[in-house]
Amino acid sequence: MTKIEARKEAVARTARLDAVFAALADPTRRAIIERLSRSEARVTEIAEPFQMSLNAVSKHIRVLEASGVVARHKEGRDHILSINTRSLDEVDGWIERTRGYWEERLDAMERLLHELKTENKSGRKDRKHGSR
Amino acid sequence: MDRGETAGATVQLRRRVRASAEQVFDLWTKPDLMVRWMSPYPGAVDCKASSDLRPGGAFSLVMTSAESSREVSGTYVHIDRPRKLVFTWVGPLTNNVNTLVTVELTPRGDETDLVLTHERLPTSAIVEGHTRGWGHILDHLADTVSKDL
Repeated sequence: MTKIEARKEAVARTARLDAVFAALADPTRRAIIERLSRSEARVTEIAEPFQMSLNAVSKHIRVLEASGVVARHKEGRDHILSINTRSLDEVDGWIERTRGYWEERLDAMERLLHELKTENKSGRKDRKHGSR
Repeated sequence: MDRGETAGATVQLRRRVRASAEQVFDLWTKPDLMVRWMSPYPGAVDCKASSDLRPGGAFSLVMTSAESSREVSGTYVHIDRPRKLVFTWVGPLTNNVNTLVTVELTPRGDETDLVLTHERLPTSAIVEGHTRGWGHILDHLADTVSKDL
């Protein structure tokens, strides 16, 4: 039972991560995130520096909201946007895991190179390791 | 770190190793060598590898212990021995979604510079063509990915 739940959680995390990475794949959306990482802001404030229609910027904001990177709340008549740092932490988690994984694998690769060198020196007849 | 450029979707590592580029390239692509370093599960784990080294060809790494079996697999996208190898990568590390790994090798005398780039590909980004820096690789990838489905 718990195994199935763990699997569901993994699938959900994958879907969330995909949405976040898709959100980050666009330069306008990255600029919006950068702006919001300084402070929360109104939709109109966000749109100001961009040379595109409010409509176009709103579309990007909707993608960011759907991915969970950006949250929206209302203060009176204003729509205020803020960043959801937890969603970005998840991305960091993936990056760290991946980096750690490859650091270890490349260490192992170098150890193997060293082994192969010693094997070659100590006579290649009694070893079979795909030398060409 | 250069967050702005990569938008957090890319991991890149650099190493200088004491071996020829050809030798390093073979470590990545020859099954009898792959099994000797690619498995992250040390000890009593049986590791089997297969490799069909051509564009669109598949590779796999199956690691079996008493309790469980794990598999990493992918498809070769670009093969240029000994300079460059690009392949898709699916496994436990990637939560079983497709990612892209590029290994670039540059000879430096007796040594070789290795640059490994691991990119996570959000499916929608591929569709929208937003992810940059892949150039023609994306075309190959679109082919291989659609074949997988």
